[in-house]
Amino acid sequence: MIRRKTTFSLIGVGTVIAAIVVFDSLIGGDWSPLFGGKENFIEFWQEDLWPPDWSLLEARKYPACEASIGFFCSKAYIGMLETIKMAFVATVLGFIGAILLSPLAARNLVPKFISFPVRIFMAATRSLPSLIWAVIFIAIVGLGPLAGVLAMTFYTIGYLGKLQYEEMEGMRSDPLEASRAMGLSRSEITFLVVIPEASNGLLSQLLFMFEYNVRHGTVLGLVGAGGIGYYLNFYIGLFMYRQVMTFIIVIFVVVVLLDILSMFVRSFVNEESDVKRPSWKTIFLPPEAAVKEHLENTDE
Amino acid sequence: MNHADSKPLATLENLSVGYDEPLISKINMEIRPGEIISIVGSSGIGKTTLLRTIAGLVAPLEGSINLNVQQRGGLGYIPQKLGLIRHASVTHNVGLGARAGTNFREEPLTWWKRRSERVSEAIALMGLSDKADEPVRRLSGGQQKRVATARTLAQQPQLLLADEFLSELDEDNIEVVVQAVLNYLEKSGAAMILIEHNIARAVEISHRTFSVREGRLTEFTDHRSEQE
Repeated sequence: MIRRKTTFSLIGVGTVIAAIVVFDSLIGGDWSPLFGGKENFIEFWQEDLWPPDWSLLEARKYPACEASIGFFCSKAYIGMLETIKMAFVATVLGFIGAILLSPLAARNLVPKFISFPVRIFMAATRSLPSLIWAVIFIAIVGLGPLAGVLAMTFYTIGYLGKLQYEEMEGMRSDPLEASRAMGLSRSEITFLVVIPEASNGLLSQLLFMFEYNVRHGTVLGLVGAGGIGYYLNFYIGLFMYRQVMTFIIVIFVVVVLLDILSMFVRSFVNEESDVKRPSWKTIFLPPEAAVKEHLENTDE
Repeated sequence: MNHADSKPLATLENLSVGYDEPLISKINMEIRPGEIISIVGSSGIGKTTLLRTIAGLVAPLEGSINLNVQQRGGLGYIPQKLGLIRHASVTHNVGLGARAGTNFREEPLTWWKRRSERVSEAIALMGLSDKADEPVRRLSGGQQKRVATARTLAQQPQLLLADEFLSELDEDNIEVVVQAVLNYLEKSGAAMILIEHNIARAVEISHRTFSVREGRLTEFTDHRSEQE
């Protein structure tokens, strides 16, 4: 046991040393920029990045804003909303594609001669980042959100499909065995046994993918595929970093909100939700009152 | 029912089961309608492997299995871990049995109704009507075993393979489950092969009891025939 632990420790230390050696060769042995760049960054931050240009959260001058709140006509809102819409559509389409393909890639559900080509197809869609897919689709359908949606959909099929078939392969074997013995067909087993059994994992992955697509959707605009990335690209090109900083903050806030939303949605389906947890209210109550409040809630 | 006169539902001929090495060899057995057969013995000697082989989940190492049951829904299997979909409701789980046991092509117009009737009857029989919409993961171990039994009752198989599904159940639950299964077997003429750790219980409910010793299946005695 001790010998095994020592072997693992040696492998760990060896891997870290290898990473340092490879990094050293990548940067040609010149580590000085890493330690000497602090002043540059502080100067860049003070002169170019901060404070951000908050006027981007106000209504654009043209076209005239018809909304009562100016923020809803701002570049930040319009760009972010377009990115979220693109990510939403791509995630839904990609999920449909992935859920239809992933049972055909799971080795516990189909023979190898079916799973192998499906896996190759998924690996192919995944091998190109969505940014490269965007460039390809821009060449096919032109600039704009359509290219962005298609790019993210393709990538989602490959990426989500892999997560899904791994989830399906990892499921307990006894529900599969019971339904096979009963004589249920492959499609019945897939849709009535495998997908419900793996549902928590699949939902979790779907929400993760949406959040991932929102983050990546911001980058797709850099190649002209629509969304907030279009504005980012525009201001980076003009070296207007205060405006870029505003968009980065907006993206950060949206991603954090999505993460919170995703945790909230998942809490309805995971096993933790079966145990009644203390409410937020109890945090602000004195201990005795908090216990009373919690017990009252659990009795419901 | 006189088991000897009826055509066997399953015939095991010179069967050897196991994975790389045989765990139980030279099994010769006929299972006739209405028969209850128990297999007892300590853990890891191949009882579950034998059941999985009969269920068609593991290939036999040697010999053959001839099943005289419908391909769809004719065989019911309650694995040791019950085989329930933990995130789905009781109704969904029991519905799988009813789906396997009913044929849409035979009576397409009444299929849905027949299926729902079977589901609600089986759930009611197992005393789970108030839990019908609950996800199975929220139920206790005993309740989950009743769900697995309800799934089988809704399926109405001709041959039921049950792997220690009575273990770890309290007396009340055992009474409910055993009575429901025995009633079904008596009414339908279906047969059951049961793996059971409790020898007294196995002897009490079955017609024939087998034990596994040194890789061979050895019959105890035909208890019920003796009693009759």
